[in-house]
Amino acid sequence: MELKLYVDRLSQPSRAILIFCKANGIEFEEVKIDLAKHQHHSPEFAEVNPMKQVPAIAHGDFKLFESHAILIYLASAFPGVADHWYPADVHKRAKIHSVLDWHHSNLRVVQVIIVKCERIAVGYIFNSAIAIERGLPLNLQAAAKEEKLLSESLAKIESYWLQGDGPFLLGNEKPSIVDLSLVCEVMQPEAADESEHERILSPHKRILKWIEDTKNATTPYFDEIHSIMPLAREKIKELKVQASKP
Amino acid sequence: MALKLYDDRMSQPSRAILIFCKANGIEFEEVKTEIAKKQHRSPEFAEVNPMKQVPAIVHGDFKLFESHEILIYLASAFPGIADHWYPADVRKRAKVHSVLDWHHSNLRRGSAGYMFNSAIALALGLPLNPEAAAESEKLLSKSLAMIESYWLQGDGPFLLGNEKPSIADLALVCEIMQIEAADENERERILGPHKRILKWIEDTKNATAPHFDEIHSIMPLARQMLKELKVQASKP
Repeated sequence: MELKLYVDRLSQPSRAILIFCKANGIEFEEVKIDLAKHQHHSPEFAEVNPMKQVPAIAHGDFKLFESHAILIYLASAFPGVADHWYPADVHKRAKIHSVLDWHHSNLRVVQVIIVKCERIAVGYIFNSAIAIERGLPLNLQAAAKEEKLLSESLAKIESYWLQGDGPFLLGNEKPSIVDLSLVCEVMQPEAADESEHERILSPHKRILKWIEDTKNATTPYFDEIHSIMPLAREKIKELKVQASKP
Repeated sequence: MALKLYDDRMSQPSRAILIFCKANGIEFEEVKTEIAKKQHRSPEFAEVNPMKQVPAIVHGDFKLFESHEILIYLASAFPGIADHWYPADVRKRAKVHSVLDWHHSNLRRGSAGYMFNSAIALALGLPLNPEAAAESEKLLSKSLAMIESYWLQGDGPFLLGNEKPSIADLALVCEIMQIEAADENERERILGPHKRILKWIEDTKNATAPHFDEIHSIMPLARQMLKELKVQASKP
């Protein structure tokens, strides 16, 4: 039964799924849905995901969207995926679910980059539905506020979710699907501005170590999938230049 | 092993868990943790949930928060829970996960935002924000329409076209029931056009009778309280 991944490598949840599949030797066909070219609005893609968002998958005739649901499904449906990715134990599994949900509501990385990079960048990097619904505060006050919230979320990861014996979330010795999901999220601002990204992350040494550990645990796929970042940065620079012309 | 449920019946995810436990005969001790009284900020509660949010559970020495996870855990950890609540089949389960995830960013964001900015903020000593309420109402309406046109499509009366309810039905219906705390004109405006939603609420209520109504008996009280707060807030 063939697996198709409908992804845009600029979308952080898309990257998490790509890295997971490659790191676990799951064969798939990558169907690139370019958000900047509005390919997610095509009628063909609406057949796959009526919500018109990436990532989405088709496994045989089974279709699924929402990245956390996809990661859980892939970890469960493919034999030979090591237990640490999505443990069978009910208690361990519950903890993984709780950090995945916390992620939804709290890791506000997306918001920071929206306010910093202006409207022209947003359509390029993100599923624009989210950006438009949240409005686009373009003033410094809003940017500062969002950055504070992001820093708070990063601090929470350090003080709570990364506590324990092991180097990964929930103190685990080996990575789970949540490490992939959250690390890809934290990497996202790198798509827009490398120095801004460094500035925001540099106070958080534990976060930086965790990113490095996750990268090493999924080498060489992590770097390979994130190789799109410099490309994205160039494109955004070009877009900014174009936008500033009269 | 004792199960303690830390909840506030004014909190929609708290209600979903209460109804689930009662409908499935799961014994628990309810520890009321009222947000309006700031009990969620007590040091004792921080021991249970360092995120300081309700609902949270303690099962023996195992602590858990985030309502969807609690529902999943309870459905998995207690024997005798009928499969339809959280199907064992990997694909059916994946669909339940996807609607729960969609809920976070769509129905919950719209509904909670609307209710907070148009009424509930007052109960926490904060001002109302009509602009934010209007934005949230748009997302709420869009989400209700999406539930009708997509999530409720299928042979059965429940989400994902299921014949019997899953934890997703409880989670989403309790969210929509929060609108019961708004005044009648607002409820009519927001929910009135959505006949399919109203039927689904009724079906979910019947599938979990009498617990659904019992747990939601707080709503008229909430409505009254918010009305009074609005009157007070409008006085010079």
